[in-house]
Amino acid sequence: MASIAIPRHVAYERPAILDWLTTVDHKKLGILYLYVTMFFFAVGGVLALLVRTQLAVADNNFVSNHTYNQIFTMHASAMLFLFIIPVWAGFGNYMVPLQIGANDMAFPRINAMSFWLVPPAGLIMFGGFLVDGGSAAAGWTAYSPLAKTLGTGMDMWIIAVLLIGISSTVGAANFLVTMFRMRAPGMTMFRMPIFCWTMLVTSFLQLLATPVLAAGLVMLFIDRNFGGSFFDPNGGGNVILWQNVFWFYSHPAVYIMILPGMGIVSEILPVFARKPLFGYKAFVFATMGIGGLGFSVWAHHMFTTGAVLKPFFGFMTALIGIPTGVKIFNWLGTLWRGSISFTSPMLFALGFVSMFLIGGINGTFSAAVPVDFAIHDTYFVVAHIHYVLFGGSVFAVFGGLYYWFPKIWGRKLNEKLGVLHFTLMIIGFNLTFFPMHLLGLDGMPRRIATYSSANDWDLLNSIATVGAFLIAVSMIPFIVNCVMTFMKPKDQPNDPWEGNTLEWATASPPPVHNFDELPEIHSERPLFDLRHGAPASHQAPR
Amino acid sequence: MRLAGKRRPVIRTFALVLIALLGLLTVNVAFAQSGQSGGITQEAHDIHRLYLFVLGLALAVFLLVESGLVYAIIKFRRKNDELPAQTHGSNVIEMIWTGIPMVIVASIFIFTFITLQRIEHKSTPENLTVEVTGFQFQWQFTYNLNDLGKGSDLADKRQVTVIGTQAEEPTLVIPIDEPVEFKLVSNDVIHSFYVRDFLYKLDVVPGRDNRFTITARELGDFTGQCAELCGLNHALMRFKVHVVQRAEFDKWVAEKAAGAKTARQP
Amino acid sequence: MAVHAAVHKQNEGMSNGMLGFILFIASEVMFFGGLFAAYFIARADAPSWPPEEMLSPEKIASGVKLELELALPAVATVVLVSSSFVIQWGVIQIRKGNRSGLIWALFITLIMGLTFLSMQMYDYSQLPFRASDTIYGTTFFTLTGFHGAHVAGGAIFIFVCLARSLGGQFSAEHHEAIEACSMYWHFVDVVWIALFTTLYIVG
Ligand code: HEA
Ligand code: HEA
Ligand code: CUA
Ligand SMILES: [Cu+2]
Repeated sequence: MASIAIPRHVAYERPAILDWLTTVDHKKLGILYLYVTMFFFAVGGVLALLVRTQLAVADNNFVSNHTYNQIFTMHASAMLFLFIIPVWAGFGNYMVPLQIGANDMAFPRINAMSFWLVPPAGLIMFGGFLVDGGSAAAGWTAYSPLAKTLGTGMDMWIIAVLLIGISSTVGAANFLVTMFRMRAPGMTMFRMPIFCWTMLVTSFLQLLATPVLAAGLVMLFIDRNFGGSFFDPNGGGNVILWQNVFWFYSHPAVYIMILPGMGIVSEILPVFARKPLFGYKAFVFATMGIGGLGFSVWAHHMFTTGAVLKPFFGFMTALIGIPTGVKIFNWLGTLWRGSISFTSPMLFALGFVSMFLIGGINGTFSAAVPVDFAIHDTYFVVAHIHYVLFGGSVFAVFGGLYYWFPKIWGRKLNEKLGVLHFTLMIIGFNLTFFPMHLLGLDGMPRRIATYSSANDWDLLNSIATVGAFLIAVSMIPFIVNCVMTFMKPKDQPNDPWEGNTLEWATASPPPVHNFDELPEIHSERPLFDLRHGAPASHQAPR
Repeated sequence: MRLAGKRRPVIRTFALVLIALLGLLTVNVAFAQSGQSGGITQEAHDIHRLYLFVLGLALAVFLLVESGLVYAIIKFRRKNDELPAQTHGSNVIEMIWTGIPMVIVASIFIFTFITLQRIEHKSTPENLTVEVTGFQFQWQFTYNLNDLGKGSDLADKRQVTVIGTQAEEPTLVIPIDEPVEFKLVSNDVIHSFYVRDFLYKLDVVPGRDNRFTITARELGDFTGQCAELCGLNHALMRFKVHVVQRAEFDKWVAEKAAGAKTARQP
Repeated sequence: MAVHAAVHKQNEGMSNGMLGFILFIASEVMFFGGLFAAYFIARADAPSWPPEEMLSPEKIASGVKLELELALPAVATVVLVSSSFVIQWGVIQIRKGNRSGLIWALFITLIMGLTFLSMQMYDYSQLPFRASDTIYGTTFFTLTGFHGAHVAGGAIFIFVCLARSLGGQFSAEHHEAIEACSMYWHFVDVVWIALFTTLYIVG
């Protein structure tokens, strides 16, 4: 609360570093989240480059099989558990309180705890590389019994993921209370910015799904260290149990990884098309629909185990295409008859729509169960993963960074470099991952350290590798851009983009207490109403 | 920078890049059709048909949405500072684009269901059964001489086994035009029995009796490989598949059974 | 404005802290849900329960038996369940503003909780099987163990509340922590009832 916060920051000056280490301010924590997660994106990316180098040509031995299993496992673990999942907590931390006109999260100290669980988790997970036997190497899915046969690195992985789990469960409760209880006067649930809505549904998924993963990890730990038999048929256990528990969490988790991204896109498109989001309510219900259905499709990862009810899970899986489609179409509806300007955030948002679409559609191939018999555990799935997680989530992350950079850091990123970043990235991205569809259809299994030149998979793999390095190159203009921009003075007005939502109603960057005063809220676009008089809702559409 | 005039060049490069990109994608997607081979078994043909069906729908949806997107990007780019009409949505339209996908989903599901019925039939006792054992990091194929199918005259209790070695990948020999059942066994970790040209894989799960049946429709040599991460040499768990006429098959088994050192792997 | 709004909102109805705590318990429910799921799947798979046939001869020789003894856990159950009523009585007292009533209630609940734990420890030491003896032992010790940990956590929570009330805190108006504490204790209690029924009575 301002009345508490002000003395903290004005009464006496503390060394900046101490201030950052002990802060409970949602904005500072948000920034910390962003720095840490982007760092792990870089780490995961570098691991990915190693993977691509190894796979560039047939029968390669750039790294040993042993190393290979570690690097692709850690690549995925870093990207998912240390980058994508916490990065949304970062954006959420900074933006949710601002967007609902609150002065902080509901539980600032718990919020700080949620953040401070992440770096140690990262250290423990990567510490695996130092112990003998190496890091976890059973894939990010840690299938048992394989996971039981690995060394200490696997236990460290389990503990790290548990810490992340606690962080995101507690964080979720925090977001929920914040959004349920601390909205500014006049902001009804259906006037909340879409980004908040997506964070709300995401938080529900985290709150209810993550503890189940925790239970699973505990079982795995007991099996590994205390002679348990959960996943050991010789002791009456069930090998498939792990997969059921893991996917019961991890499918909802994939929506945890995309929904906030969809929220960010739904913030950016209306601003730069200068129209309200088409079908706000439909979008909200679609989000809930995805969240709900998300709990009933987990076994689509297990069609080839022969242990699941295939038609049911196939149907539920295909069904998720419907609410997601509603979103895609609403985004098109938002652009339609708009007045679109191609700023960097907008480019990434448009990139999201076009690329996530592909990832979604190739997910539907797997929903047709017999087709999944063919493509399961092939590079077709790897293509799917990256079209949704990179073409989707990562593009949204960059869109969000370009969009909110002026608000968070008071400076605007250079547009030309932004355009260059986007262009290189989307081309590199498609070069890398499109060929993987064809490799998968041609039968190249995933998670193989090398492949025989007998199957002519060389060409497509080489293309993918080139693409991967192009993505890395595309990061250079971005990093240069950030450095250059940080050297400029803070010159941004409250609302450089003509935004719609409350975060643009305060200074850039906002004061510790966020708002000196709030505009009246009559719609989901209070700032638009402020600029153009009558609330959009009362305005007769021409 | 909000002035349209200044941004034109960028816009143009953009429109171009995007169009080029989508062009490239569509081309690729189109030839993705040749990505999946038709397969060599009865069941594979059914699966491939379903695949083509889904691919057709997928391409339709893809082209529809992407072209709409590109059109909007080019047509509705900012030309002046005038505020466009603030349309908030339309329930009718929402209904339409909820309804049409429902039809698509329904059709996919029905086709999926039918195909499942067709490919997941149980094997009958007189069929040949091959016991496939996956272990870190090789395959073993065991033919029980009593259930060689087609009333084979080898009334011998022994089994014929083929085990892979570092030096030589194991070869799975099966007869053409008759149902062959595979019984999958593992005692260490999960493997997955995957033959590209079957368009099919089934996990080899410790403690589970997983079986499936196929009918080969093409003679020749094909390759298979473990498709579930199973540790260090997962990538090297490869094997060959050799589809032969029944006569040649019986001959091969006989030689193997006779333990003839010369038993050539055809 | 926003600030006042926030403060204002917090005061009406349930407090943020309480809502957050309820959400936390919801996640706890999911956690135990996961463990229970594992137990029931194992049972569904097992040809017989307890799965004696899974025991190796040498283990049987070494006296391992997959059987539970009911008397002591039954007593422990009575203790834990009744402690739930005691703490609830305490809550009612503090609502009336009677702090000494609360103190007594918390004190007795704490003792009962600790009694339960010590009984469980003793029971563990007497059992003829370990966590490493088939899925039966694994699920038994995992489920009861994690429940025990939660009882211990609850006991600490109660101890803190007790200390604070001895320090003169809590009143008819302000006793959130007590409400939360008793809610948590009831939760732990309910979980145990579920455990006792499945593991001992049905088991
Ligand atoms: C951001 C993460 C994310 C997202 C959003 C999704 C979204 C979807 N995923 Fe994906 N998935 C993953 C991440 C994600 N996935 C990961 C990481 C794996 C691999 C895990 C591993 O390592 O094994 C995986 C694996 C995976 C599998 C298992 C594949 C296998 O191993 O064999 C399946 C199977 O059904 C699947 C399906 C789907 C479906 C149907 C959707 C749907 O939500 C997509 C819906 C969207 C659309 C369909 C497009 C838009 C819709 C329209 C334009 C309407 C019209 C279209 C139709 C009606 C079809 N995914
Ligand atoms: C958010 C999720 C995410 C992201 C962003 C990525 C990004 C990439 N992924 Fe990955 N990937 C997964 C999630 C993700 N991946 C998952 C879940 C799996 C499954 C794993 C499993 O099977 O268990 C997988 C598996 C996977 C495989 C299959 C491995 C196998 O099955 O054997 C491959 C192979 O090419 C691959 C490649 C890549 C590449 C080239 C990128 C590139 O896009 C990376 C681009 C990023 C960079 C190049 C980094 C840029 C930064 C720098 C260069 C440093 C600059 C310095 C600073 C900023 C300080 N990934
Ligand atoms: Cu065996 Cu992979
Ligand atoms: Cu899934």
